[in-house]
Amino acid sequence: MFDTRNVKPHLKSYLLAGSAGLALVWGAAAMAEEAADFPSGPLQFLVAAGAGGGTDNFARTVKPMLEEALDTRVTVINLPSASGALAHQRTANSDPDGHTLDFASSTLVTSLAAGQNPTGLDQLTPVARMQSDVMTLIVDPEKYADFDAFKAHVEENPGDVIIGGTHAASPDRMAFLSLRDASGLDMNFIPYDEEGSVAANVMGGNIDGLFGEISSVLSYMESGEMMPILVFAEERLPNFPDIPTTVENGWDLTDGNERGIFVNAETPDAIVDRLETALKEVYDSEQYQQYEEKVNLHYREGWLGSEDYRQKLEENYELYKRLLENS
Amino acid sequence: MLDSFLSGLAVVFEPINLLILTSAVFIGFIGGALPGISGVILVVILLPVTYGMEPTQAFMLLTAIYGSTVFSGLITAILYRAPGTPEAVMTSFDGYPMTQQGEAGKALGIGILSSAIGGLVGTIALIVCTPLLASVALKFSSPEYFALAILGLTVVSSLGGRLILGLIGAAMGLFIATVGIDPLTGVSRYTFNNLNLSEGIGLIPVIVGLFAVSEVMKRSLGGEAHQPLTRVKVKIFDMPILRRIGVTLSRSSLLGVIIGILPGIGASTAAMVSYSETVRWSKHPEQFGKGAPEGIAAPESANNAAAMGALVPLFALGIPGSGTTAIILGAFIMHGLQPGPLFMVSSADLIYAVFAGLFVVNFMILAFSKPFIALFTRLLNVPYSVLGPIIIMCCIVGTYSVSNSMFDVWLMLGFGVIGYLLEKINFPTVSIILGLVLGPIAESELRRTLAMSQGDLSILMDRPISATLLVISVILLIAAIIVPLRKRARAKAAVSQH
Repeated sequence: MFDTRNVKPHLKSYLLAGSAGLALVWGAAAMAEEAADFPSGPLQFLVAAGAGGGTDNFARTVKPMLEEALDTRVTVINLPSASGALAHQRTANSDPDGHTLDFASSTLVTSLAAGQNPTGLDQLTPVARMQSDVMTLIVDPEKYADFDAFKAHVEENPGDVIIGGTHAASPDRMAFLSLRDASGLDMNFIPYDEEGSVAANVMGGNIDGLFGEISSVLSYMESGEMMPILVFAEERLPNFPDIPTTVENGWDLTDGNERGIFVNAETPDAIVDRLETALKEVYDSEQYQQYEEKVNLHYREGWLGSEDYRQKLEENYELYKRLLENS
Repeated sequence: MLDSFLSGLAVVFEPINLLILTSAVFIGFIGGALPGISGVILVVILLPVTYGMEPTQAFMLLTAIYGSTVFSGLITAILYRAPGTPEAVMTSFDGYPMTQQGEAGKALGIGILSSAIGGLVGTIALIVCTPLLASVALKFSSPEYFALAILGLTVVSSLGGRLILGLIGAAMGLFIATVGIDPLTGVSRYTFNNLNLSEGIGLIPVIVGLFAVSEVMKRSLGGEAHQPLTRVKVKIFDMPILRRIGVTLSRSSLLGVIIGILPGIGASTAAMVSYSETVRWSKHPEQFGKGAPEGIAAPESANNAAAMGALVPLFALGIPGSGTTAIILGAFIMHGLQPGPLFMVSSADLIYAVFAGLFVVNFMILAFSKPFIALFTRLLNVPYSVLGPIIIMCCIVGTYSVSNSMFDVWLMLGFGVIGYLLEKINFPTVSIILGLVLGPIAESELRRTLAMSQGDLSILMDRPISATLLVISVILLIAAIIVPLRKRARAKAAVSQH
């Protein structure tokens, strides 16, 4: 080692430039190498949601499978604060080496569109989408026998119907806004703190309906207390052939809550590819498919690769932004 | 029903299940006693462990941990004024003064007995009338929640004679509760573009700071000579005491069950409301806050009863009544079960085994608490120069673990300093917690109420439950102002007569 303090200024800048160039060359070499021996250490899953919820269960189910696929160890950290915005921010600020993975739901995009999440798609690269749930409109069947009855009631009593949902920038509010926007039905929205309170208010007859996933109301369907009357899908679901779709009503809405994995946007492509391949392996495994079936996430294909997922997210972002501005 | 319960008991008494319950009670004891580590965190930590278990055993384990953490929060609340769980905040109000008067054993005994009785009343309510109670929960909507929160806020008037300071404290709590993204419109309030603030200021950092940290600061800075309590004798069944707190126990347990079944209103609120009701009904309200046995019995029986009550909507409707039950709901789904209105029918065996398990757990709490507490009371003999830093360390670890956030730790330490300064002027800090717990309920439920009625306030008086609760609150508030005035006038009259 030599002391640079005694070197003349111009020489010092040469040295600096030289070492910077050297670092670049090293960097490029390291990149190819990194992908080859990725992962070089344990991975970290940042879960953008609280423990025990759908996104947390998703991350913890994938954990042992990805550990096996990549032959490494994984630690899971829940960062539920700010609707997960902290998890996105921390991922964007992490080393771009693919060792920090952000497990997020559609809330990432909805909160981005609402201005509550400063970490955008320019700072994060989507690796894959693994879950795609089906959004539905759920009501008390004693109040509204089917969607036609619901629609007729709203048309006759504009502004009278109240839909409950979770917070103002949530996927279910986006479903509400998009349906109202597409159909022109005049309905109101009240956000609650928890999904449970919304369901209790629908069952107690205080409000008219909610937007949610079929899996969350299966047992209420059996007892007849709540019933999905409209699904956000292209075609009727094979498991529920009696429920009409948005598309057959002429509204191009096929949304649902999605869950996927994100990394720092500067992560080398080779590493993103490696992760995508490993996740696809996990997704296709029988064990993972069994899990999807158990939690009723098997109604439609969950997988989307990095590029397709990005495109979908960008489309959704534009849509949500427009809906929120008009609301 | 009795048949199902008895066959549930038979399942519980299988050796392996008894072992599971025993370990659950111990895990719950330890977690509940550490400030910051609450039932929610313990259940989350153990969740993956239960995936490999049979559903019945898994849920016996989770619910037993849940029940025992609510109990053991009282230990540190009474001994060190460091409530182990948010539910135990009110317990420190009379429990810690008793410790300072050298009556820690008596205070702990009352706490244990009240917890067990509250827990038993709650469990019996759970077993006997879950479907019935669940329909009560559905009658509650935004107007009723708003009215209940207002009733809760009138507690301020019963926190001793310092009504003005109490009101200031409640207002501070209400203000702290407004920080964060507004849940109804998504507008940021007082967040200063700091993401850490957008979720609002949590209950745990404020409670741990205001109570535990400020107490450590007070004792360390005050240079108070430590008086070793050589022996703390816990006496659980003390007949004269039991006779004195009997009425309080029955009233608070019932109140606890009713408040507990309401989704979103937790055991902490139950403890606060029942404490205030006890003060209100007491013939000697001036003794509260100075070590009144009823002041321990009320919140402890209510919070344990409420914890069981919170399971009612979970089992009967699939709706979680609190944070921990929300995670247990997630666990049901992961085990491939379908909680919902048919759950009681489709999974009767499992549910009655869990009920029987909870029933037994209340007796286990009675049996195991003495040796466990002996461990903690022995710590009282440790010099405070050693114990104080250990308490601070537990506070830091516990607060951090809530959402893996260093920001919360700084917040907690900040509230410690604030709490220390407020203590110096004898400020009723508990009123701040009151505002913080009830503020978000009152605010957002009022706004939801108005959204439901399209801006018409008369909805509050049109609905019988909310009307009744609001009328009671108004009467109590007026009484709180008039009664001391009349007393003073009478005292003056008496003086002038002589």
